[in-house]
Amino acid sequence: MTCDELRDDYELYAMGLLDEPGRAELDAHLRREGDPCIAGVQKARELVSSIATTAPEVHAPARLRKKVAGLVVGDEGRRWSWAPVWIAVAAGLALVTIWLGISRRDLERTIADFERQLQQKNVELARLNEAVALMNDPAARQVVFGTDTAQPPRGRVFVNPKQGVLLLASNLPPAAAGKIYEMWLIPKGGKPVPAGLFQSESDGTALYLRKGAVDIASMGVVAVTLEPESGSAQPTTTPIIVAAL
Amino acid sequence: MIFLPLLFAVYIPEEDRSLAERLKRHEPAVMTELYDRYGKLAYSLIYRIVRDVGAAEDLVQETFLRVWNRAQGFDAERGALGPWLLAVARNRAIDYLRSASGKMSRGALELEAAEHPSAFANFEADVLSQDQSRRVRSALGRLNENQRHVIELAYFEGLSQSEMAERLGQPLGTVKTWVRTALKNLRADLGEKALSV
Repeated sequence: MTCDELRDDYELYAMGLLDEPGRAELDAHLRREGDPCIAGVQKARELVSSIATTAPEVHAPARLRKKVAGLVVGDEGRRWSWAPVWIAVAAGLALVTIWLGISRRDLERTIADFERQLQQKNVELARLNEAVALMNDPAARQVVFGTDTAQPPRGRVFVNPKQGVLLLASNLPPAAAGKIYEMWLIPKGGKPVPAGLFQSESDGTALYLRKGAVDIASMGVVAVTLEPESGSAQPTTTPIIVAAL
Repeated sequence: MIFLPLLFAVYIPEEDRSLAERLKRHEPAVMTELYDRYGKLAYSLIYRIVRDVGAAEDLVQETFLRVWNRAQGFDAERGALGPWLLAVARNRAIDYLRSASGKMSRGALELEAAEHPSAFANFEADVLSQDQSRRVRSALGRLNENQRHVIELAYFEGLSQSEMAERLGQPLGTVKTWVRTALKNLRADLGEKALSV
């Protein structure tokens, strides 16, 4: 077909309304350099373009200008706009990890504390059981001390020939720093024998068990002195507790 | 909404050429200037097609981003920036309409071809001018109702002639006659004088 024959199709083509085979025919003309159809279609496109101007005017929201400008705040900006998100996510994960680590350490520490306390309670319970067993044994001999002193400590000493010596005291303030209480078993007519070191509780009570067989018949006195914290081979101070058997 | 023809800033090819060159260089600041020049027209055109403020906003952004991304293929010396941008805007809106209505697009390739930058070379300077807008509106006003209606359906809704026939309940031949006559009348009315100042 000639351009003259296609002339009435230019606007249809520009509007996208031209059906085949007319469309293909015109496409072929437009591919030829210098073809008169090119100028004709260009005019038709101008006409079609100008129809856009007949749209009723509508005011665009003011924010749209900013949005459009922001579309390309650096083409690269569109790419790095995710970076802060990923950084925030990574930082968040790092914080969570650290928090979990700290929490885990705290938890482990708490569990260890409980285990330690439980262990102490078990030791204490075992010691109390031993003390009760020692006291309940009919072979045990009991001595009360401190009843005749104006400044107690007061309490009882149980001597069990098979199980050992048990001291129960009250009003026995904790030994000062660098000092400790030391028990002595003093045979009749003999020298004091060291029977172990102990410390009283903050409320002034003390329970000390010196295990081991004791010869009650030869035992004269159970005494307690205040000694250097490493203990002494012989008493270096006046006894605080004296329980004569 | 103001139901009056759009009044545009004077279409200055020299400024458009500068904008096009800066677009090709991907200078971000050019987007604001491009929007100031064509944003209102693009928004009005898109809104006329989709009739939805939110969608129109999104489509305007799509339009400008598409122009930004495809500026490399635009001939800054000979290309008509405004008509190209409006063709992109129209195609985005029509594509949206067809997607929203569940219809297959009449052809992505067809739309692509219709907005290819090379299709907007050597345009007259006043295609989007206020005077040209007035002339086109007058010419449309002189069409009979059926002719004007099919032009509007084709341009603002992107309907094919078959779709128009179905929509209007008219034989395809009748619709084709209305369309062909309408376009012929517009060409005659606007004529060489109007488009070749």
